[in-house]
Amino acid sequence: MAGGGSGDGEEPEFQIAPMIDVLLVLLIFFMSSITKQVARVDKGITLPIASNASKRDDARDESIINVRWDAATETAAFTFEDQIYPKLDPVVPLLARRQSLTQKHRIVIRGDRLVPAEQISLVMSAAAEAGIADITFAAAPR
Amino acid sequence: MSRHRKRRHSEASGDLGFQIAPMIDVVFVVLVFFMSLAASVKIEAELNSRLPGNATTSASVDFPDEQTISIEVNGQVLLNDDPLDGPDETALPRLTQTLLRLKQNSENARTTLLVTISSAPKAPYYRTIDVLNALAAAAIDNVTFTVDEGF
Repeated sequence: MAGGGSGDGEEPEFQIAPMIDVLLVLLIFFMSSITKQVARVDKGITLPIASNASKRDDARDESIINVRWDAATETAAFTFEDQIYPKLDPVVPLLARRQSLTQKHRIVIRGDRLVPAEQISLVMSAAAEAGIADITFAAAPR
Repeated sequence: MSRHRKRRHSEASGDLGFQIAPMIDVVFVVLVFFMSLAASVKIEAELNSRLPGNATTSASVDFPDEQTISIEVNGQVLLNDDPLDGPDETALPRLTQTLLRLKQNSENARTTLLVTISSAPKAPYYRTIDVLNALAAAAIDNVTFTVDEGF
């Protein structure tokens, strides 16, 4: 690249190389910050708000169970690893297997704010059946 | 000078060389895509809890100081059957204050404070989170859950 020296009175030339550098850095930043979060977002779920909730610990091994609520039909649906389950019985062995691999495994319950408490209780029962005691409730901080 | 010669040479041979303009176009499009995606991503927080396990009976067991918080279908919260705050009050200020006092008392008495959340089956989940939020404010982490069919 030709230098844009301004000392001799010439107009500085547009520098393309630093611009590409900045663009690539921005691109990598947005890609790395989004990829992990997009994977678990279920847009059909509105999380309840908890202002005192702690920051997410992404480093831990976890299984995320989404609990959707259809207010029109008054039915709940559970999503685990991109599969929808009307009941949690088939999920229990999957959870138990993951628990056997790592002892620091936890379950994150991402429930819609309007889901009846009994549906959340079913998820906790499934966790207990799989031998997992570490339960985390996902919430929006504001 | 040499650049002009190089360009003439590449035009003549049909080799266009590395095109910077389309590359910047593509990078811009990808950047805008990820930036727009970033705007829609919601930050999540967490409320941690542990399910109760089996206690060994060979050792002596300290009985915990147990409190029960009930949640009715309409969202009314009761602490030991005593209604606190309104059903629409999400911040639960009275419950939070009471829990802070209970936590302080249990620390002074060196006992474990155990809170059981007993919810009506059809009570909305956000009310459970409101109660957990109040418990988090009071730094109480010994929490158990039940769904009480008796409501």
